[in-house]
Amino acid sequence: MERPPDVFSRRPSLSGTIAPAMIQMFHVSKAYPGDPPVLVDINLDIEKGEFIFLTGPSGAGKSTLLKLMFLAERASRGQVLLAGRNVARLRESGIPFLRRNIGVVFQDFKLLPTRTVAENVGFTLDVLGTARDEVRDRSLKMLRRVGLEHKADVSPLKLSGGEQQRVSLARALVNDPALLLADEPTGNLDPALTVEIMDLLTDVNARGTTVVVATHDATLIERYQKRTLRLEKGTVVADERGAKAARLMSQTA
Amino acid sequence: MSAPAKLAYFVRTAVGSIVRSPFVHVIAVASLSLSLIGFGVARIARTQLDALVDSLGGEVEMTVYLAEDAPEAQVAELEQALAQRTAGEVHRVSPAEALGRLATQLGEDGKVLTELPDNPLPWSLEVHLPKAARDAASLGDLARKTRALPFVTGVDYGEEALERLTLIARALEIASLVVFSLVFLTAVIVVSATLQLAIFARREEIEIQKLVGATDRFVRLPFLLEGLLQGLLAAGLALGAVFALVRWLESGQTGLLAFARLDGRLVVQWPRLAGELVGIGCSLGLVGSFIAVRRFLRV
Repeated sequence: MERPPDVFSRRPSLSGTIAPAMIQMFHVSKAYPGDPPVLVDINLDIEKGEFIFLTGPSGAGKSTLLKLMFLAERASRGQVLLAGRNVARLRESGIPFLRRNIGVVFQDFKLLPTRTVAENVGFTLDVLGTARDEVRDRSLKMLRRVGLEHKADVSPLKLSGGEQQRVSLARALVNDPALLLADEPTGNLDPALTVEIMDLLTDVNARGTTVVVATHDATLIERYQKRTLRLEKGTVVADERGAKAARLMSQTA
Repeated sequence: MSAPAKLAYFVRTAVGSIVRSPFVHVIAVASLSLSLIGFGVARIARTQLDALVDSLGGEVEMTVYLAEDAPEAQVAELEQALAQRTAGEVHRVSPAEALGRLATQLGEDGKVLTELPDNPLPWSLEVHLPKAARDAASLGDLARKTRALPFVTGVDYGEEALERLTLIARALEIASLVVFSLVFLTAVIVVSATLQLAIFARREEIEIQKLVGATDRFVRLPFLLEGLLQGLLAAGLALGAVFALVRWLESGQTGLLAFARLDGRLVVQWPRLAGELVGIGCSLGLVGSFIAVRRFLRV
């Protein structure tokens, strides 16, 4: 039967002393036919357990870079390694199993209007063949963590943008993924909620999940002082950590 | 990863989707039903034509005319040989019997026959041919050989009628094959187009399923189940419609059956037709869904 490859194990590998990095990119380019390239010669190394901000102006390639990370796109050139596994060598049928270890928060949320909030969150678990009661149980627990338990049985259409964003986050996290990718997860939130969501993200990060957040928000980068990659015109123009990152990003963002 | 939970999920998803967007499903079932009704009508028409050809074919027989002086032993031998060769039934017909039949066939005009001084008709043997022996070629061969026998004055087997019948049967075969293929092809196209419409409405759901790690099989199964349900439902509806149509035709209000020289009843093998409609309906639903969902699996 279906057996996911255990590439995302959070324990150090037994075979070698060095666990593979979560995401590695070597000379990765992405171009669509007829358009100028979106990403040019990207080299990246994101270790397990890291918290990364991905920033840069609109159209710099942030979303495309994220898409390469959850295999919605394939690189035109270069190598992408997820947990040490070269995705170019991955068969089409292996992609679903890899994705089960990756939670994604989409910029446009991608919630289903015909399902309730709880059902949307449970979608991730349904796919794994989890029993119905357990799906409901875990979905409600996750909704409680994002503060939306009371909205469990309404349609996402009745929620504000910020609430929808949190539902999307709940769906990404409900399966406790090894890697969380979030595209502007605080874009629609007021400052108080932004803090709540960021607390949640740092919390899951503290529990071992690697987190990559694409954001415009310079204040976020300043306040949290995490490793920050800045993209401009498809290339990484800065890769800084801590206070230095905050200063650099706030100047140019 | 429990199988029952998955199965329950698939059934829930399939039923849920029908409940949530009844309109597209009504269209899909309607187009499936129409295709199946077309098939059912074609099937029944074919059965009627077959029955018609069979009833005409029932008249196929070979008559062997005997010389007046044929000795009894020879006739009996010939009788036996013919019966063996054709595996049919052989009757000896006396001149009186033959004259009587002729008189009946002629009706009013038959009265003239009674004026005859003596019976001009010879003794003859009537061979009723079983279905298997009814092809023009082998019958012609048999007739030629019989003609060469002693005390046989003539052999008659309705050559022209038989050849025409064979031709009609072959034409029917080809025509029904063409009709069936057309109906089936149209059905596949219409059904998969309709299902594509139904699935298009749910491409977002498929996209999200795939993004959270669903396998193609997992995404596809509820759709196949839906196709199967739609096929079953459509088969039931089509069967009902065809049944009503047959009853209506048989009620004699249309005069269509009189035209076809059928005695007011249609030959329909209902269990077989039901089986075929369900089989075709389900496979159309399955194949249509399979083709339709394929397009949306690339995420």
